[in-house]
Amino acid sequence: MSLHPANLLIPLMVIIPLTCALLLNVLHGKDRTVKIISVVVALALPVLPLLAGYGTQYFGGYVPLAQNSAIASGLPTSITGSALSLFHPAITYFFGSGQKLMLFILGVVALFSIFASLYEVKRPSGVYTYLLFMLAASIAALILTDDIFNLYVFFEIAALTQVGIILVSRVKGNYETALKYMILGGIASPMLLIGIALLLGVTGNVNITDIAYSIKTGLVNPNSSVLLMACGLITFGWLYGAGLPPFHSIKSAVYSKALPNGAAMLQAFSVFMFVALGIIILRIFGYLPFTKVFIIGISLLAMVLSITMAITQTDFKRIIAYLAVGELGYIGIGLGLGTVAGITAGLFQAVNEVVITAFLFLGFGTVLYKTRQSDIRKLGGMMFESPKSAFLVLLAGFAMAGVPPLNAFQSKLMLIQATLKAGIPELGVIMILLSIVTFMTFMKAFYAIYLRSKPKDLKILEKKIPRVTMVAMVAFLVICITFGVFPQLAIGYLQPLAAGLV
Amino acid sequence: MNIYDLIRRRMKEIQGEAQKEEPVSNISTSSVLTAEITLISTIILAAIMLRFLSMVLMIFVVLALIFVAIMVMPVMPKLKREQNDSLASMMFYVVLALGIITILFYWGNLNV
Amino acid sequence: MIMDTQSASLLTASSLIIIGIFGTVFLDNLIKKVIALGFVGDGANLFLIAMGYKAGGIVYIFMPGMSRDWFAQNASYPLPFALVLTSIVIGASTMAVMLGIIIVLYKRHGSISASKLLGDGNNGK
Repeated sequence: MSLHPANLLIPLMVIIPLTCALLLNVLHGKDRTVKIISVVVALALPVLPLLAGYGTQYFGGYVPLAQNSAIASGLPTSITGSALSLFHPAITYFFGSGQKLMLFILGVVALFSIFASLYEVKRPSGVYTYLLFMLAASIAALILTDDIFNLYVFFEIAALTQVGIILVSRVKGNYETALKYMILGGIASPMLLIGIALLLGVTGNVNITDIAYSIKTGLVNPNSSVLLMACGLITFGWLYGAGLPPFHSIKSAVYSKALPNGAAMLQAFSVFMFVALGIIILRIFGYLPFTKVFIIGISLLAMVLSITMAITQTDFKRIIAYLAVGELGYIGIGLGLGTVAGITAGLFQAVNEVVITAFLFLGFGTVLYKTRQSDIRKLGGMMFESPKSAFLVLLAGFAMAGVPPLNAFQSKLMLIQATLKAGIPELGVIMILLSIVTFMTFMKAFYAIYLRSKPKDLKILEKKIPRVTMVAMVAFLVICITFGVFPQLAIGYLQPLAAGLV
Repeated sequence: MNIYDLIRRRMKEIQGEAQKEEPVSNISTSSVLTAEITLISTIILAAIMLRFLSMVLMIFVVLALIFVAIMVMPVMPKLKREQNDSLASMMFYVVLALGIITILFYWGNLNV
Repeated sequence: MIMDTQSASLLTASSLIIIGIFGTVFLDNLIKKVIALGFVGDGANLFLIAMGYKAGGIVYIFMPGMSRDWFAQNASYPLPFALVLTSIVIGASTMAVMLGIIIVLYKRHGSISASKLLGDGNNGK
């Protein structure tokens, strides 16, 4: 078996940030070295997916028997002649065009999140940079993996890292929120594991391609009650992983307890977990019509509950956090429609949302940086303090609400078209309605922070906003405009992935 | 304390606190009002999707929802109170959701 | 024999999970809550490993003198065993972090009561 050098990069997209994270721990205290290594590796994160060639990575080189004649020749025909020869004996990573775009976007968000943390945090050699790299590595694995147990493991690593990121933030109440998240996770993640165990028990496999193959070709009874139970439990784990109701309030609390640059990574984790496990649910259980009905139902619930909660909040970090959870609903509706157009639109919305929410978190983070205050009732007059960042934040808000020519406009338009084509115009109407409310929520926060006159007791610190934060915001804006003007650029990558799911 | 007492106390909490919750300032009143209208209109719009099951059911449910919405009008303060950050209430909904989902998937996949 | 080993394991696993969820919901002491969560995790692990059980099967180590066909027919399924090890490690580290947080909370507030520490109002204290 020969390995193409471009394919060798597929596992490296996980291994490089993982190794870097471990290395940074060893170098604790050496600030300069840590800074140099972090900058180099962070720069590599968005570049690696661009260089890597499409392909499949079999860990340990264990390819399916059908492709490995050397081993297969000595085996009895009861193995080589059956489906066993097609099954994947090792953990498999699949890297296609959809994965390429998602990993690139993840790389960009991770890059700026790490850069911002290096310049905003006093001691870069602390544990924070380690956590960010670890999270980047686990999210990359979530996107790449074709093995549901591997997904579970990396999800747990990411969830622990998430807890770590809020523990080191020194925001009031971070320990309490972290413990609440872990206790809820302590119930939800074993349920996901049991779902996986049931799948393993029925099909004897943890590889998603093999499980889907077994169900599709009738090797196992698709209507067996064990599979239905597995579907329910894995969906419950999906709700927990992505922060859909009933986990939306804890997820938004988690975002609001992190530093802004950490929160940018945390929301990327939620969105990519949503997409990764959502795709898996569609691949394995797509034949059950109720699954899609449920995905649409829970997405609607997420949108309504989170956006109505967002508008009644007074802490701006909590407002963006709830909006970020609410935006997940749009992706879910795209996935739940189950058509190629719908899934493509949903994935496009996911990619856009990661960029826009990171943009918003960093943007509002500058307010926090200058005032140490996140209550919008006590803020005001920031327009005169930092007009440039105010303008960028306004554009980020426009992007989230779906104002042309920014990217979410294109994806939301595609979503609405997909709902019309699927014959469910009500969903389109609801999405438009909630977009308007999203915009209103954003404007409420924007008005309170930037436009109205400054309260007398508000102290503004004499600190300049780090240049790297501004650069990051401009970079996110460039991505927003590029995808808004040339949506084909993203859709071309995502369509093959969506077409493979139907 | 036994389970019955816990559940009863929780019921009392929900009912008691929802009544004294009153929006105060201008901006928060309008926010709650917007949220209220959004919530009701979204639920009614979503109910229209029942037409895929049965037309008669859809008309009946939508009318009933409009009636109920008018009757229990300030629903948002209660909803906000429900989605608070206390571990007990989050846990309550998580376990409830787990039960609903497992039953729903078993029933739904055999019947839808 | 009333029940085979697999059914007994599954029954034990489900009762562990039910007891665990019950404890997590209704116990107020945070340490007890964490112990109850340990029950849930252990139940899930036991469930997972019970999937690899084969009635009358042998340990899946290929010893000299075994014929390949006989081994293939009689060995139990090795995959759940590999998976459950990973899962146990994850559970242990999660529990360590939870207990660590509880230590910090106890030092700050002098209490490990969930209703006092993890209620709604005292989120930012």
